[in-house]
Amino acid sequence: MRVDIKDLLFSRGSFTLRGSGTFDAGVHLVSGPVGSGKSTLALLLAELLRPGSGAVRRHGVSSALLLLQFPEHHITCPTVAQEAGSWGLAPEDVLARADLAGRADDDPFHLSRGELKRLTLACTVMRNPDLLMLDEPFSSLDCTAKRKACRMIEERDEGITIIFSHERAVLPRVDTLWEMEGGTLTACGSVPRAIPRWRHAPPYLRYALEEGARPENIRLQDAREAVCRTHG
Amino acid sequence: MIRITGLRHRLVDIPDLAVDARHIAVIGPNGSGKTTLLAVCSGIEEPCAGTVRLLGRPPSAVKVGWVGEFPDRTLLFSRVYDEIASTPRFRHHPCRETDERVKAAAGTVGITHLLDAKVSALSGGEKALVALAAACVDDPEVLILDEADSHLDGVTAERVGRVVRESTAAHVLWCTQSMDTAAEADYVLFMEDGLVRHHGTPEEVFARLEETCFYPTMWRVRR
Repeated sequence: MRVDIKDLLFSRGSFTLRGSGTFDAGVHLVSGPVGSGKSTLALLLAELLRPGSGAVRRHGVSSALLLLQFPEHHITCPTVAQEAGSWGLAPEDVLARADLAGRADDDPFHLSRGELKRLTLACTVMRNPDLLMLDEPFSSLDCTAKRKACRMIEERDEGITIIFSHERAVLPRVDTLWEMEGGTLTACGSVPRAIPRWRHAPPYLRYALEEGARPENIRLQDAREAVCRTHG
Repeated sequence: MIRITGLRHRLVDIPDLAVDARHIAVIGPNGSGKTTLLAVCSGIEEPCAGTVRLLGRPPSAVKVGWVGEFPDRTLLFSRVYDEIASTPRFRHHPCRETDERVKAAAGTVGITHLLDAKVSALSGGEKALVALAAACVDDPEVLILDEADSHLDGVTAERVGRVVRESTAAHVLWCTQSMDTAAEADYVLFMEDGLVRHHGTPEEVFARLEETCFYPTMWRVRR
């Protein structure tokens, strides 16, 4: 199972996105500054935008889903339970997974933004598509919910997961790092060897490297704890 | 001075709170009432019971700059320039002054290159920056940001931090999920289940959160 992008080119106004590469099975993290093209790349990979030239080719991928950056853009039903049902999922399972027990009959727009994000994230991950694309899955979540989201992502034992995010404090176990800058996609390579090349690395990772930590000893999901232990 | 007395609104319940700090971070789990508190402090919502006073006045009598958590819901105009110009225009400032203010605010926030862009073509983070420029354009007395940084990368979030520090507002109320950002505030309110569980300097509040994931990462790492 893999997704190839070949000489992808997409322009809108003065913005141009370029990229080539292969997304194999595993967890990919695409990081980069605001307006660098992360969401546009997500839409292209989800085939919701058509590239000017080049192509996105899926091999052995029978299902794909994109979690949109703004959770309110997903909502189509007047209650939380009906919204979960509209994804073809059992509402009670979704509510339990999203820590929203007791909110079944609430209007989704009466949830806080973080709660709404938990709902749409749970729905997307529980559909368990071969190709799962998550645009800023951690934004608006509190730290407890971020960790839970990481565990949900890590529990996917097969398929391609692509996370588009600028999150810096809490990250799941990532296999491959990519960067977007000024519309250009660059592959950094596999974790942990790619970490020193990762320009958008979280501050605590940079600090660990400056303090002499060896990248091969760094795993993203426990980097924080590991750094704390060396200084403990 | 921000003074809250007998406030009850939705799940928020704050019997008595007075804060004299400039930069106030509001933190806490999702659904703990942070947005509701900010909405009441900004004057967007009238509380069911109790009073809020900013600088000795009700919020409706204070110039408040507001950056909401759903940028799509607060942006009214289709062109970035018109969005940022809306407050000075609604306040009947002369055209030339409005133009100067818009360009200055866009420059400070770092979005001069977006002034002619359509709001609908912006990324999520760029929308948050437009909302920030629109909130700052007419020198608010109180600036209120509701998770404005949740759509921003680290470098851009630092720029927002600088804009907030340099603003002339007497108070900045900033709700954030980045504890490293909250650690830079003068004062921290930690909310849970509608109550202010802890309040004080960052040192005081985070000392009580040391065993939780709300403790700032960089503090843990550098210790």
